[in-house]
Amino acid sequence: MKFATTSAAAIAAVVTASAAFAQDKVQFEYWYGLGGQLGDVVQATCDRFNESQSEFEITCVGQDGYANAVQNTIAAFRADQHPTVVQAYDAGTADLMMSGEFYAVHQMMADFDIDIDWDDYFPGIANYYASSKGELYSMPFNSSTPMMYFNVADLEAAGVEAPATWEEFEDVLVALKASGKECPYGYAPSTWIDLEQFSMAHNVPIASNNNGYDGLDSEYLYNTTIHVKHMENIKRWYDEGLLEIRTTQGGLNSRDSFAQAECSLYFGSIASHAAVGNLVDGAFEWDVAMIPVYEGTERHNTVVGGASLWVLSGKTDEEYRGAAEYLKFLATPESEEYWSTNTGYIPVTKTGFDTLVEKGFYENAPYKGRELALESLTYTDPGPLTRGIRLGGFIQARSEWSNEVQAALQGDKTMQEALDTAVSRSNDILNKFARTYRGQELP
Amino acid sequence: MRRAFFKNNWIAALVVAPQLLVIFIFFYWPTSQALYWAFTLEQPWGGGNEWVGFENFIFLLSDDRYWQSVRISIIYALATTALAMGMALILALFADRQLRGYKAFRIGLIWPYAVAAPAIGLAFRFIFNPSAGVASYLNMAFPGIWDPVMNGSNAITMVIIAGAWKQVSYSFIFLLAGLQSIPRSLTEASAMDGARVLRRMKDIQLPLLTPTVFFLVIINITDSFTDSFGLVDTMTSGGPARATNLMVYKIYEDGFRGLDYSGAAAQSIILMILVIALTFLQFKYVERRVHYT
Amino acid sequence: MIERTPLLNVATHAILFIGLFMLVVPIYLVVVAASQTLQDVMSIPAKLLPGDQLLVNLKAAWTEADFGSKFVNTMILAMGVVVGKIIFAALTAFGIVFFDHRLRMPIFWMVFITLMLPLEVRIVPTYAVAANALSPFQTIFDWIGVSWLWNTVTGVEMALNWNLLNSYTGLIMPLVATATGTFLYRQFFLTIPDELVEAAKMDGAGPLRFLWEILIPLSRTNMAALATIMFVAGWNQYLWPLLIITDPAYGVVAVELSRLVPNMNTTGGDIPNWHWAMAGTLIVMLPPVAVVIFMQRWFVRGLINTDK
Repeated sequence: MKFATTSAAAIAAVVTASAAFAQDKVQFEYWYGLGGQLGDVVQATCDRFNESQSEFEITCVGQDGYANAVQNTIAAFRADQHPTVVQAYDAGTADLMMSGEFYAVHQMMADFDIDIDWDDYFPGIANYYASSKGELYSMPFNSSTPMMYFNVADLEAAGVEAPATWEEFEDVLVALKASGKECPYGYAPSTWIDLEQFSMAHNVPIASNNNGYDGLDSEYLYNTTIHVKHMENIKRWYDEGLLEIRTTQGGLNSRDSFAQAECSLYFGSIASHAAVGNLVDGAFEWDVAMIPVYEGTERHNTVVGGASLWVLSGKTDEEYRGAAEYLKFLATPESEEYWSTNTGYIPVTKTGFDTLVEKGFYENAPYKGRELALESLTYTDPGPLTRGIRLGGFIQARSEWSNEVQAALQGDKTMQEALDTAVSRSNDILNKFARTYRGQELP
Repeated sequence: MRRAFFKNNWIAALVVAPQLLVIFIFFYWPTSQALYWAFTLEQPWGGGNEWVGFENFIFLLSDDRYWQSVRISIIYALATTALAMGMALILALFADRQLRGYKAFRIGLIWPYAVAAPAIGLAFRFIFNPSAGVASYLNMAFPGIWDPVMNGSNAITMVIIAGAWKQVSYSFIFLLAGLQSIPRSLTEASAMDGARVLRRMKDIQLPLLTPTVFFLVIINITDSFTDSFGLVDTMTSGGPARATNLMVYKIYEDGFRGLDYSGAAAQSIILMILVIALTFLQFKYVERRVHYT
Repeated sequence: MIERTPLLNVATHAILFIGLFMLVVPIYLVVVAASQTLQDVMSIPAKLLPGDQLLVNLKAAWTEADFGSKFVNTMILAMGVVVGKIIFAALTAFGIVFFDHRLRMPIFWMVFITLMLPLEVRIVPTYAVAANALSPFQTIFDWIGVSWLWNTVTGVEMALNWNLLNSYTGLIMPLVATATGTFLYRQFFLTIPDELVEAAKMDGAGPLRFLWEILIPLSRTNMAALATIMFVAGWNQYLWPLLIITDPAYGVVAVELSRLVPNMNTTGGDIPNWHWAMAGTLIVMLPPVAVVIFMQRWFVRGLINTDK
């Protein structure tokens, strides 16, 4: 048993142990959330890093889901047993920033004299993870943005084209229904798509203070924007049978309903592009397009989804050097290509993207169409309302939205009432967050 | 109650010490820390906290979402316990008659217990799936009658059935073991006196089984309060519109997914008090009537 | 015992059969899903008859998840929980049922309350204890000044440390620290007639001999039932191992299995290889099912000794 009161002998043992260690490689840990096939690719990336050099050895531990990865890291952090690097989801960014327990990657790379061209990162991606001064706090990694997936054959049969506006979208639904399609649109309520990305593309606020970037005393505003109209439309389409609700709980989720040609349209992350390709397996022709906007609004950029890599505080310089080397390794165009080829995620740097374009990566199936995600991300330069979201307790706020929207879809209340309730409850969460970190400011 | 005791109390101290030590380290110490959070606003990353007294509790008790969660947790606990115990009791009593095929039945009734909760959740999701599963045949006959994805009461019914299913084999194991330890001579003597099978069940087997039944009722109720996480997580994720947001799932969601440690800690305290109160009541009123020796 | 109850016999069989049917249907569906191709398993309406892909899927699941060494680890975990619980619980229940001291009920309730708060909701502080199992004592010593005394007298700083992360002890101990077993033994011990205790005392048997020679043999069926339950519970552990084990050498099967289950929570998601996940479920189910079937011979006494 490793039971020890520190004594001279124990100290001696520790010294010998670390001396023996020093001759070995520097070891450090990385906890990631992606599971299944995506997790395997992360693991392969780690193996490639270990083979690429002999100084460091990274141990990558899958934590089976984004939520677990963050939550287990926090538990470990409180016991001083945390990994050096952790993959944290987009929505947890504000929580991590306020914790203060990280080593900003911008700073770290500078400290270790590793030259990274920060301007090379797509602004729609970098802004999400940057401080108010524009310095990246975490390293963009698996990045995606939502797309509209559509069944080309079904649309042709109904005599319509892929819609660019929501008004056209409704016409397409009607035409599909008229052509005999049971489920024109397989819908699953998603804050990420219906609220967050929708608001970005329409350049309307989700919350005050420019979506929380300018202070902790923010309030949600989405019950006052065009988002309400959109959700009311969804409710109406549901009532009129133009869309069917397809969630994992119901067996087939919206993506799989699409891939099995049950439903003609679905909205999902570009990261699904690879999986949809595998699932459809040539059974029908399909394509992707940018998410529609309402007529009379000017389309703006969407923002990044997915996760970024955070370097946590409380580690040794040697471990940080290893982490820096690993992040540098991930930022090479070769690594980006490896990652984008094996998953549906998009490159995070302009160089990485250009390299792929030059190689003709996006010209042919199965990768064709993925460049549209970058077009969506870079459609305009990010403005104050389209930089991203910086709201504490956002995971809970997402669930408030989902629950209330479900209630409205069930017919328990109107959509406006539902969104009002969701906003007021989410404001309670923001309040509590601001009080928990009273006297502190967002970096 | 017992009247014959051993006197060597130092031996008593010695035999209870190991478990007390383990529960002190792995239960009471961590729990007391969590309980402390309930009276503070704890920063998840451990940066510090602020004492807020009963504020977290006041917020909870004035929150209708919380009361909804309490209400459905109680419904869930009572319904699963009644369903599972009723079924297990009937099956055990009849299996204990040891008619032909008894061994096969016994194995068949026991082994489902070995299946992990998430697997049960997935299987039941499949069965109750309104459009694809077994339940889709019901919807073919009566369109729109069953939709646990959008209908809250359908969803909680589904979770209750799965929860009860999970407990049937567990209860059956203990009830059958309990029945088997009733001396055969007792039932045989009664049979000689002319008591028929059903009458023997009522007059001899059931009363002798009461300690086991009491044990199972307590375990089933506490279990349905505290061990429903895996099922809810795989079947409904608490939805639709919080219709299956059981207390333990809500605590996990708010606290560890949502990083609101303090709110979750306050909920934990209330959950604990509630379960303790329920158990205490049962001990006080039911155990008196439990027939020992 | 021979009675003629033909009608009741038919009813008995019918009841048992219905019960069996209701219990087995979900498992049957797992088998069905595990024996189909990806296309079949996703098709609408569901196919209710098994396909011919069972072996293929079992093999795919086995290679996809690295089950080999995980089975050994999980076996150690489950056995550790079984042995720990059986011993601790029997001793504690003995201590609170057969001795007449004022702390009987308080101790019982202290143990019993551990049932009320599951590991899921106290996982963060429990992790902190697992990272250093002696931290409670350190804190207490710091608090009451023992540390200060020690530091002054010896000149060496007192730092108690016993890290249980990535160890079997860490996996097992928190799972042993609950009350199910104690409660079960108590219920059983309460049914032991006073006369037995008196007789033992008359014979000059001390409490430990009474425990060893009378109580333990009498509680065999209960022990077997408890062992079965605990083995299954230990075997199916997921959340706790996922958190405290970062070294794959200590991984357990449930965590490995969940890697097979398609995860829809990540953006993009995964290919829904339900057929593999279900095949993996069957593989992982096998040891506990075997244990249940084997152990029931012991807790169902009727089989061994029918004329009792």
